[in-house]
Amino acid sequence: MTAKRILMGNEAIAFGAMKAGLQVASGYPGTPSTEVMETIASHASKYGIYAEWATNEKVALETAVGAAYSGANTLVTMKQVGLNVASDPLMSLSYIGVKGSLVILVSDDPGPHSSQTEQDTRAFGHFSNIPVLDPSTPQEAYDMAKLAFKLSHEMEIPVILRTTTRVSHGCADVVTEDIEQADRDIEGYVKEPRWTIFPKLTAQRHPWLEDLQVRLSDRFSDLFSENTFNSITKGNSRIGIASSGVSSLYAKEAIKDHSETLSHFKVATIYPFPEKAALEFLSDITDLIVIEELDPYLEEQFLQLIGKHHLNVNVYGKKKGHFPVSGEYDVDAVIDGVNSSLQAMNTDFPLLNHSTPVVARENIPPLPVRPPTFCAGCMHRTVFYAFKKAAAKLKKENGKGTVFSGDIGCYTLGNAQPLNMVDTCLCMGAGISMAAGLSHTQQYQDGNYAKQVAFIGDSTFFHSGIAAMISAVYNNADITLAVLDNRTTAMTGHQPHPGIGLTAMGKPTKAIDIAEVLRSCGVELVETIGADDLGECINMAKKAIEYEGPSAVVFKGKCVGITKATGQYVIDEDKCTGCNFCVSQLGCPAIFSMSSGIPQIQDNCTGCSLCAQVCPSDAIVLREVLQ
Amino acid sequence: MKFDILIAGVGGQGVVLASRLLATAAIDAGYHVATAETIGMAQREGSVTSHVRIGDEVCGSLIPAGNADLIIGLEPAEAARNIHFLSKDGSIVVNEHAVIPSASANNTEYIPEQVIEFLKENCQETINVDFTQLAKEAGTYRAANVAMLAAAAGADLLPFDPDELWSVLEKMVPEKYRELNRKAFDMSLEKVSDIRRA
Repeated sequence: MTAKRILMGNEAIAFGAMKAGLQVASGYPGTPSTEVMETIASHASKYGIYAEWATNEKVALETAVGAAYSGANTLVTMKQVGLNVASDPLMSLSYIGVKGSLVILVSDDPGPHSSQTEQDTRAFGHFSNIPVLDPSTPQEAYDMAKLAFKLSHEMEIPVILRTTTRVSHGCADVVTEDIEQADRDIEGYVKEPRWTIFPKLTAQRHPWLEDLQVRLSDRFSDLFSENTFNSITKGNSRIGIASSGVSSLYAKEAIKDHSETLSHFKVATIYPFPEKAALEFLSDITDLIVIEELDPYLEEQFLQLIGKHHLNVNVYGKKKGHFPVSGEYDVDAVIDGVNSSLQAMNTDFPLLNHSTPVVARENIPPLPVRPPTFCAGCMHRTVFYAFKKAAAKLKKENGKGTVFSGDIGCYTLGNAQPLNMVDTCLCMGAGISMAAGLSHTQQYQDGNYAKQVAFIGDSTFFHSGIAAMISAVYNNADITLAVLDNRTTAMTGHQPHPGIGLTAMGKPTKAIDIAEVLRSCGVELVETIGADDLGECINMAKKAIEYEGPSAVVFKGKCVGITKATGQYVIDEDKCTGCNFCVSQLGCPAIFSMSSGIPQIQDNCTGCSLCAQVCPSDAIVLREVLQ
Repeated sequence: MKFDILIAGVGGQGVVLASRLLATAAIDAGYHVATAETIGMAQREGSVTSHVRIGDEVCGSLIPAGNADLIIGLEPAEAARNIHFLSKDGSIVVNEHAVIPSASANNTEYIPEQVIEFLKENCQETINVDFTQLAKEAGTYRAANVAMLAAAAGADLLPFDPDELWSVLEKMVPEKYRELNRKAFDMSLEKVSDIRRA
């Protein structure tokens, strides 16, 4: 039985994987990949699947590998920067291969909307010699999830299913099939030398891996005739378009009035490049326009192929500057790129038209900008503000500055004005290691520069904070760690982690206490404190910074996304002097002030009371205690 | 058939839910649908948009500039920020209730009335109501998104009627909030029919 329903691309992948007989799934949350694991976890017990959130992507991949070595059908999920963390096992794994099946779901984020990089996972496929499938719609994501499991089983290698934001986070009508309670018997782990990587084995396996790339390229060329997500449509001109992923849809829409003229090569089985199919496509083409987001991966494959076979085809893409090399594409960007290419061709082919908007983008009057910031009532605002105040006090007392190393999560937004409390931010866990590095510089050791403070969230602490903290303690780094423990993985949508006491599948489990971990890592001063009293937070921050040697404070509070508002504050206009201290110091989105003077508090106030605590005139008061 | 709707607002206003409701109603009405939604860091009090493309053909989820048949602006400045998506004969349903950014020391002075005027000058069919106030009267300001969808359906600006839209809402809104949302829905329908009669 099939059914048509509205699914997000990520949900479609989860259903495709479960239809393909998924048995074990592990992942770490990261936008835009998170909902794949969330969907699986919520259906896991129904279909006899095991699903978990691992502490990081390397651990998640290794967990899936272990299960796959036993013959299980496995999935691991992460975002593009997560694949960097998992790259160590991945590079070795490609030599060894798997039993069962192993699909690696990696979501890229052109734009980027919510990421540190715009890196292209197709390139990682090339780098690691692991095949990559690149769907363009949620329906293809569903179908290709099934194909990925099939290919992995058939070729005995992991397969990367790579999506981009518009596929992961777009919803569409998707035709899905009933998921049977499949026979889930697996052979189990059988001891064999092939599972133990040694230089000798690597040397033996490398020729196999290279040969596999050729076989896979042939297999992908064959796949062109076997499914609908790869396609070649022939037009009656000598101009062709090649595209991959969601860009295929933008291309299709941009050239919809010329579909009989322009040929279109849409490739979804993206690595290894399906050479035979591409050669067939090129046989009628003299000018090729390549349309793809992120890296010029497809373009380079075509350039190589054209060079290898001495073909007389001009290629227009990123390399000659016809298309942008960064940022997200859409139909308008593609029309501009195609027109730029057509102009360079010296052809009489008509340029593509944009639709005419009511108001052109450049004619929109100036509007207020809305940089992302902490939610109203977020505990992080109190902690960052406390450290700011404590650092200012210390500066006054002893002249020493403070450097604040941030990390990846909601609290990265501590960089926003007016808090301005993130001096460094690189990747998950780096706040601690970088603070340690900064503390070992000569300037610091001479005692005339700065104290080092690192911020990290609870989920990130487990992801990659622990090893960094051990290294800092071991190497005598004099740093202060502030753990912003809001009892969830907030930025990606409230997933549990080892500190919570709940698994991905909702079962109770042992909760790991962050303060205890820090003590056992050798941190000498470890304190735990609630994040609601600003004065106490300032004192604690000061105490921790002043302590000579590694110190840590775990600040506890609950993410406002998982709690209800406790009240609403209002401005007592008789008392308010219009100093605007509440607005200029905190940046809470619930408080605003027009140039006229008295600030106002909006509906989204949660009653955290931070503004009341900083108001010099006691003019901010609790209106009512909400039920 | 093709019908493109752009929903614009501020993180936390319910833009994603509104787009899910419209997409589900479109499927129930037998159309293909593709949406693009803002999730993750970008939504924390930032500007967010959802693109909802309804039609016979599968296409990319991002609406090209000048192609939107309808803009639903949960916040005036966010509607204006996205007006370049509106097509020549498109319509706007906009919430008069402004969300003023905090700590706007270096920000443009934001006068919501001026922004509403700008929208009306550029789009003949602009429905502007303080939907947040209307939703508050129904029970919670959070139902403004549902009230706005009702207004769009009530004004015949969607490819399905208010009853079809409500039957989707009935399925998707948790039972304890259903009555409240029904109230906001009905009040909004009435408001729109008053505007049309006037």
